[in-house]
Amino acid sequence: MTNTGLDEARLRHAFLEEAEELSQKLGDTLLALEGDRENLELINEVFRFTHSLKSESALMGYQSLSELAHRMEDVLGLARAGTLKVEKPVIDAIFAGSDLIAEMMAAISKGNRDTEFNTEAALKDLSAIVSSAPGNGHRGAPAAAAAVPAGAPAAAAAPAAAGAREIVLNDVERRQLAEARDRSESLYRITVKVAETEQMKFPRAYLVFCNLELIANVVKTDPAMDGEPVEDSLYGATTLVVTTAGNDTALREAATVDQIASVDIEPRGYEEYLAPRGARAAVSLSAAANLPPGVAAGLAPGGVPAETAPAAVSTVERTSIRVDTRKLDDLWSLIAELVLHKSHLARLSEDLGRGADVHAVREELSDSFDSLEKISSGMQQAMMDTRMIPISVIFNKFPRLVRDVSRKLGKPVELTLAGEDTEIDRSLVESLSDPLTHIIRNSLDHGIEFPEERVREGKNERGRVSVTARRQGGNIVIEIADDGRGMDTGRIRQKAVTMGIAGAQSFSEAQLLDLVFLPGFSTKDVVTDLSGRGVGMDVVATRIRGDLKGDVELRTDPGKGTRVTLVLPLTLTIVNALLVRGDNHLFAIPLTDVDSTAKVLSTEIRGEDGREISRWMEDDIPVYSLGALFGKGRRKSEEYFAVVLRHGDRKAFLLLDELIEEREIVIKPVDDLLNVHRMFSGASVLEDGRLVFILDTSLIRRENF
Amino acid sequence: MGANILIADDLSFMRMIQKEILTERGYTIVGEASDGREAVEKFKSLHPDLVLLDITMPNMNGLEAMRKIFSLDPKARVIMCSALGQQNLIVEAIKAGVKDFIVKPFKPERILSAIEKALKAS
Repeated sequence: MTNTGLDEARLRHAFLEEAEELSQKLGDTLLALEGDRENLELINEVFRFTHSLKSESALMGYQSLSELAHRMEDVLGLARAGTLKVEKPVIDAIFAGSDLIAEMMAAISKGNRDTEFNTEAALKDLSAIVSSAPGNGHRGAPAAAAAVPAGAPAAAAAPAAAGAREIVLNDVERRQLAEARDRSESLYRITVKVAETEQMKFPRAYLVFCNLELIANVVKTDPAMDGEPVEDSLYGATTLVVTTAGNDTALREAATVDQIASVDIEPRGYEEYLAPRGARAAVSLSAAANLPPGVAAGLAPGGVPAETAPAAVSTVERTSIRVDTRKLDDLWSLIAELVLHKSHLARLSEDLGRGADVHAVREELSDSFDSLEKISSGMQQAMMDTRMIPISVIFNKFPRLVRDVSRKLGKPVELTLAGEDTEIDRSLVESLSDPLTHIIRNSLDHGIEFPEERVREGKNERGRVSVTARRQGGNIVIEIADDGRGMDTGRIRQKAVTMGIAGAQSFSEAQLLDLVFLPGFSTKDVVTDLSGRGVGMDVVATRIRGDLKGDVELRTDPGKGTRVTLVLPLTLTIVNALLVRGDNHLFAIPLTDVDSTAKVLSTEIRGEDGREISRWMEDDIPVYSLGALFGKGRRKSEEYFAVVLRHGDRKAFLLLDELIEEREIVIKPVDDLLNVHRMFSGASVLEDGRLVFILDTSLIRRENF
Repeated sequence: MGANILIADDLSFMRMIQKEILTERGYTIVGEASDGREAVEKFKSLHPDLVLLDITMPNMNGLEAMRKIFSLDPKARVIMCSALGQQNLIVEAIKAGVKDFIVKPFKPERILSAIEKALKAS
């Protein structure tokens, strides 16, 4: 920048300001990348920062800095393309470079030169990484070197030598020439030399090629322009075979763009190219030239696909997620507010230090905490929102499923979907898909009647199945309804009795229908290959009630249809819970499982140990205590705190020592070793570090009541 | 003389250098944009004679911005600015109709001659 007459000092200041920020961001992003090495977005960012640092420092004449950044960019470029895995040595080398850059920036801001630093070791490490990357023999011409047109043995490499080159046309090109001759067009051979100063020779030559294409027919170029370019420097001189109805002046005009050193236009005769010679070589060349660019580039000289990047790229895709940017915007604005409040708090603490009025500060502090509370719950919500995706990702496959199954069974069925926009937690998608598929198949298989039967019953011969999703409070409700024959509770009772299920004679309808979710219970003795044998509603129930902490319920109207309702918590990771103490430990019970809290007098508890009941509203419900659940027996007392647990239509008392508070907890998975009796659905760690187990209330369903 | 030029680059330092070089030669910088979206917006509102468009920019990259600009005005004069290693992007830009490009770091003469040629050809 010495010959521009620009204000050097002002420029240097601007450079420092921006470059320091870039260097800072580079360091921060690298840290993030270290913990998330396959994150393509982070790799891209790091690449962009080094790239900007390189350009800016080069412009300011800081050669060492620029060279270092350039070498880092080479490494990151490979990582970005998926050719290089970001492993520890890579991270380390980039970190070393980044640290060195930071030091250089500090020196430059003090008026020193970047050349005072020894960059040799850093450069060597970076170069070593580049040359050890798969498919990279040497630095400087990564993709280009590998892309010398495929399948072309010596012939393709030969044109690299300057001077008069032999141009061999393939059959298609020869036909093109013959047609041009028939149209009486002129044939020219144009040699374009790109200025030495042009740093990108291929794009420059390509620009000429495009300009010529506008007014003439470019039959062939050497080196080739279509497909992957060969090494950039080879385009310093490019030969083009061109036919045109115009004259050479127009050609010259089109070819003379900026940064072109010379344009040489010679008229040629058609016979030179159309004479039958070297046909074999031409054909083998043309075979490669006609391959799609990607294929040609991916072929090793032997014609075997070379090691390609896609595999690496796809693993990156799997770890990244798509998030609606509007959701991120919400999060951003909250973060901005958070930062504001942080500085507000800092000011308050300063005020206190200066002896400000404590009462006034306390008031402000309390206001500030209120706002912080709002912001943090807002952020939590916004963060949760980024985990949500529309349920249509599952619903979309149902039309096809219903079509296939209904054809196979010979039962015409009309499917209606509703509420596809309802958002669910990403983590639910996989575990929800199978149960829903199973329920729909069941509907078609056992619920919907054959057309004749439907007509006899006075129904439309087409069966109807509807799947709807909606949000209800903190839950997602999914309903699968059909207008089939419904379920015969009489037969279920019969079956329950023959299976020896205690008390089945006096079961309510809801209790009877719940039996369908028991393993091995099915009233349909005909097993089709669709719903399968053995795998049934019990699997659905386990998945929904156990894994997803939701509930499933069945309702039926004999002759009119069946409705399966799934209720799922909105998100699995954060729940509102009641914190309780029992048996000297802390436990959390998800609020969705709590019907109410109560006090139970010991005199109200009837029955024998392990089978106790007590009155709740109009019903006798089982009584558990945490101690008893852990096999220690219940602590004797006259009066107990209790939670009325609710799971589906079942309720039970759980006796406790203390009800502490209601709060939000973050669920973490529990190791199976700790959870032999499957009493816990997870654990959570409180701010003070105490561990809290989350009770799996489905256990009240498992107990023998 | 005095053609109106719009500069788009995410780095304010780059914009500053370009501005210095161009204003010294008598060009008018009618606007600056720090990302592709802004570049398109400003192209719409300012009708510059020429746009200097950086390829790597956040929000909307230079290629996308260029396509948008060409769809607004097929005769728009756009010069792409890129860095070494972005050959493929430049080729993309040429395919889409860009008439010249400059490689960063550039010499002042280079950017000036590119602009002069682009303004002359029309």
